[in-house]
Parts: sequence; structure tokens; C-alpha cells
Amino acid sequence: MAIPILKQGDMLIASIQAALGDRDLIELRDELVAKVGRYRSRGVVVDVTALDVLDSFAVRTLRGIAHVTQLRGATTVVVGIQPEVAFAMVQLGLQLEGIETALDLEEGMEMLSRRLKGDGPHG
Amino acid sequence: MALSTNDQALLQEMDLSDEEIELRKAFLELGPEDIATLQRMDSLARQYADPVIEDFYGHILSFKETADFFRDPATLRRVKELQKRYFLDLTSGEFGREYTANRVRLGVIHQRINLAIKWYLGMFSFYLRAVSSRLTEAHPDEPQRVLDTLMSLAKIIFFDIGIQVDTYIYQRERTIRQQQEAIRELSTPVLQVRERLLILPIIGIIDTFRARQLTENLLKAIRDNRAKVVVMDITGVAAVDSRVANHLLQTVAAAKLMGATVIITGLSAEVAQTLVTLGVDLSTLNTVGDLQGGIEEAERMLGYKVINTREAPPAP
Repeated sequence: MAIPILKQGDMLIASIQAALGDRDLIELRDELVAKVGRYRSRGVVVDVTALDVLDSFAVRTLRGIAHVTQLRGATTVVVGIQPEVAFAMVQLGLQLEGIETALDLEEGMEMLSRRLKGDGPHG
Repeated sequence: MALSTNDQALLQEMDLSDEEIELRKAFLELGPEDIATLQRMDSLARQYADPVIEDFYGHILSFKETADFFRDPATLRRVKELQKRYFLDLTSGEFGREYTANRVRLGVIHQRINLAIKWYLGMFSFYLRAVSSRLTEAHPDEPQRVLDTLMSLAKIIFFDIGIQVDTYIYQRERTIRQQQEAIRELSTPVLQVRERLLILPIIGIIDTFRARQLTENLLKAIRDNRAKVVVMDITGVAAVDSRVANHLLQTVAAAKLMGATVIITGLSAEVAQTLVTLGVDLSTLNTVGDLQGGIEEAERMLGYKVINTREAPPAP
């Protein structure tokens, strides 16, 4: 299932709408990495609001997306982790270390645009 | 006579099944012979019931501690009547479910009026002595018979005492359980003090169950209030050990996943020492001394600035 990736200014927004298989996740990663280069994006928002579970593979892939896009000059923010998901992740010891998180899409985009304007060290 | 549902429930809760009752009797070696012996003295018991009761209450009323339970003459009359029936039950020979339920009910009443077990035991001892002297009088030439009767009586009395003590303990434990539940249910309010700023005061004991509940509440509140910063105050947490610390770390990590920063305040000197001694790694925690400091720090993070309007220079 293809995940739509929207371009919004110098940001990319990937909104995951349904549970993903491992292959879908890999596809998402590859496409995001490619598009960061193509559109010269400086920020990526991955919205996981619709997901009610994040397993270790998904977490690893999200980490991968963040690190690879970082290398290509874009900051990734994961938004919309639900309370139950957050709790389960912590219980399982799954961490998103080194990745920015925000409450929802709005919050994440605001965080990124502040970061991009402010020319922070990661910007 | 059928047992009321209340009695049945109580017997069941206390695990006093028919088998258990039989087991208790078997352990006391309370057999058919004893029952026959007791029944044989039933008529004598009836005969002596009233004078024994009078002696009994004379004894009870001669001690201030026990007399206090029977200040009211009407109560005393009623209790005497009940007590008489109680003693007569001992020689009725019927020691089944209904008998046990009666004893349990009495134990509940004794516990409710705070009649200490020492008085209960003392009264039983007095009763045994009163009966033994009367038995000796009634059968002056048959010491063996008197002894046998007393032995049988002792068995059923020990049966009673066992039930009574168990009822006391059960009632106490139930109180403790209820209190524990009350502590657990102490709500952990998540309060919004400013736009996007929550405080979470934690009071009492954090066990695994409560930690879980607390984390869930907090995460939901973060979503519902769109919070960015949470100040968690643990001034009221009695003890922090490595497990509690771990719970706190998990809560902080989960909140972080939802984009919220947690500031922990109110770590007392002892708690801080304990944590360092335990070697708990709290380096990922954002801690501030007290609640006030925590809120100030949170306000700074959110970009608020609090100004005292009285101290502020007058506007030009």
C-alpha cells in the first residue's frame, strides 16, 4: 500500500493511514529518502496517528528514516504517537532516541518551521 | 433452617466449606462419642443455664473493661438471652454449617464492637470453670464421667475459639484490604495550570498497578490538553526504590514519545541519596528541586514570563 507523501514548502509530510507491513515501511523509507533529495526538503513529518501499534521493526525503520534523512540534510519529526502506543513502546523498551517527536501534525510542523527559521544546529 | 445468603457468602469468603468444618472437627478429634457425651449433659446444662449466666455476667460486670460493653440494661438482657442460647448450643450436638455460621456471625459482632479476643477467651475459661464445678456437684461419684464431659466440652470450645479467631483475623484483613484499595484508588489528578502545561502531583505509594494507571492517565491528558510540558511532583511519595524510579523513567520516556517534556520535582534529600546509592541512572530525567521551581522552568520552556505587576515600573 502506497503511503502518500505530500510536499509542503520545504517539508515533506508522510501520513500513515493504516497498519503497515514491513515491506510498506521499507518502501516509505526509500521514497522519503529519495524525495528529500529531489525536493531539497529540510524537514520530514511522519504522522502515525492512525497506528495503534508500533512494533520493533517499525520503530527501527522510523529511526532509519530519521538518521538517513538527517544525513541528507532534513530533520525528521514523528508525530501522533497515541497514549497506548507510547505506553506499549516504553514497556517493550522501544526507544526513538535521537528522533524528534511531537503531539500531532500541527505541532510537528510548527516545531520544524521554528527549527528551520532559527537556524538551529540541526536545522 | 437454611442459612441466609449473607451467612453463606461469609462462610464462603472465609473458606469455611463443609469439608473444612469436618476437617477442623477431625483435627480436634471431635467425634460422635463427644457429641453423645455433650448431648447427655444437655439437660443438666439447661438446668444450670440461668445461674451460670448470672455468675458469668457477674464476672463480666466486675471488670470495668468488659462491663463497658453492657452499660445499657436492655442490651444486657438481650445479650444474656443470646449468651444463654450460645452456651446451650454447645451441648446441642449439632455442629455443622449452621452452627459455624452462628459462631462466625458472633465473631463479626464481637469484632464490630471491638471486644478484644482476650476478653472472649477469658469468658470462655470462666464458663468452663463454672460448668465444671456444677458437673462435679451433679455427679459427685463419677469423676471419670465429669472428666470425659469436660474433655468433650473443651473440644467444641476449641472449635469455637478457632472460628472466632479466624473471624477476627478475616475481618481485620478485610479492613486492611479495603484500605489498600482506597489508597490505590486515590485519584491521581492531572491538572492544567497553564495552556499546554500540566502538573501531576503524586501522593502515596507507587506500585506497579498504580504506576501503570498513572502513566496511562498522564498520556491521555497530554493528548487531550495538547500539553508540551508536564511537571510531576513526587514530594508526597513516601519511598522511592529502584522499581519506582524505573516506573518514573518509563513515564518520562512515554511522554517524550508524545512530544511532551516531563520535569520531576520534589525529590527529597533522602530520596535523592537513596537513588544515588541504588545506582539508578536518572541522567535522562529533568529534575528541579521543588514544585515552584518546576513550574517556573516549565513556563520558561513554554515562553511564558511572569511579571509582578506591583513591582513592575509604571508605564510611561
